[in-house]
Amino acid sequence: MIIRPIPPEKETKMAEINKELEAKAKATFSAERKEDIVVLVMAAIVVVLVLVGAIDTKFYSSLFFK
Amino acid sequence: MAGGGIGVSYSLKDLPKLLPGLILCIVLGWMALQWDASMGELRKGFRESQAILKPHLELGKPIAPYEDYVKNKEDSYKGALTLYQLGIEKVKPSKPYILEKDDYERLSVDKEPAFMFRFAERTVQFQLTYVALLLLGGMLIRNTVGIPKIFQAGTIAARPIIKPGIILLGAYYMWSDVLRVGAIGLVLVVAFVMGTQILISIWGRKSNVDDGLNGVMGSGVGVCGVSAAVAVAPVVNAKPRDFFYAIGTILLFGTLCLFTFPYIGKALGMEEPVFGAWVGTAILNTAQLVAAATWYGHDALLTANIINIVRVGFIPICVLWAIWYFVVRPARQAGIETGQKVSALEVIKEKFPIFVLGFFAMVTLNQLGVFSPVHKDMLGRDLLRIFFAIGFAGVGLNIAFEDLKKAGGKAFVIGFSAATLKAVLGAIAVIAIGSEAFRVK
Repeated sequence: MIIRPIPPEKETKMAEINKELEAKAKATFSAERKEDIVVLVMAAIVVVLVLVGAIDTKFYSSLFFK
Repeated sequence: MAGGGIGVSYSLKDLPKLLPGLILCIVLGWMALQWDASMGELRKGFRESQAILKPHLELGKPIAPYEDYVKNKEDSYKGALTLYQLGIEKVKPSKPYILEKDDYERLSVDKEPAFMFRFAERTVQFQLTYVALLLLGGMLIRNTVGIPKIFQAGTIAARPIIKPGIILLGAYYMWSDVLRVGAIGLVLVVAFVMGTQILISIWGRKSNVDDGLNGVMGSGVGVCGVSAAVAVAPVVNAKPRDFFYAIGTILLFGTLCLFTFPYIGKALGMEEPVFGAWVGTAILNTAQLVAAATWYGHDALLTANIINIVRVGFIPICVLWAIWYFVVRPARQAGIETGQKVSALEVIKEKFPIFVLGFFAMVTLNQLGVFSPVHKDMLGRDLLRIFFAIGFAGVGLNIAFEDLKKAGGKAFVIGFSAATLKAVLGAIAVIAIGSEAFRVK
């Protein structure tokens, strides 16, 4: 079986793709961290609104037609 | 979590790009909840019609005139209210449901509930709730007319809106529930979830599957869908193709589970806590798992949520496993010093899904007695449904058949087989353990 060496330009391209992927993976995870912070803030706001009575028991049913 | 924020970043400068899709998901979510609210009202009509018909059909009693029916209902409500005001009854009676005159008169003639009432009752039998509408409807829209480009980023960003719902659900738990169910969940997670990752890693190596593909498939199928795959990818030098294969497999398996598990659960006679434990163990990502559990019932969701919290907490451990199996171990076997110093604490700090802390904070607040029963219902039922509906709209609109087709090859067979094995063994284990162990009181 003849093993052909990978052409240098293809190897460089693969390395670039891998680098790009790694950067994308890192960026995605930091986006998820940011996303987690956003959802924590959203949940905290809702809890405070419920506890101070700004959102009451009628709020949910008032969103819909009878 | 399913797809987490893949391709979308949450920042103010991206808001104009996200807004159209988010608005679309809010509108679809509202429509589905409106459907639920309308069906709920109509089901009350069905039950009321049955209650009126029962003495007539069973004992042959005549159906009373409408005015007498209304008076009886009002009198019995007033009586119950008086008992409550005197302190004899502890629970305040809710206002009675009274049939409209037209419906009542039609019932007197037809001797069966009106068509709309029967239709609403049928929707329960077929589990056509807001969850099903959003997932099936979203999938149908995505794969027929498609989503215009302007909406795409926003619909992806809508999926994680399920997470605030998961946090709010914490208002229902006491720490004793979390620790009791969480301890069993921990055993299940270690046995099935980590077990699957290890099985795929070893099986893949034996079948000469690329380390990159094998690593992302193992962590994705084993632990937590796309999040775990993303976290492990840099460790195993995954290529873009590996991502597509792994994500395709995860999505395909998750989608099949999502639409079949609730029916399998019913067919096997699974109680809600057992079903919750099963989906928590077997379904691969948070959004699909939460959707399947919500579809089945609120008690199923309460159990599934704890198991899921334990499971996503395993992402850092899954990354540590991948570092050891794919980097450290082969290097040691080859006598190479990798030069990489891995700090377990650093990995945990970097990869731990911090929204879980919000859930723990809610459990602690509940333990401290901050929430009244009314608060709990508002947070853990009403507001939760709003967040879930928006998130499920995003999930449904992002189930694309072309993504599912990307699953393929030897790694797909290994990933899919391991996930199926995990689901079957998981079902046997949770049924054997029984519902009481998983019930959140």
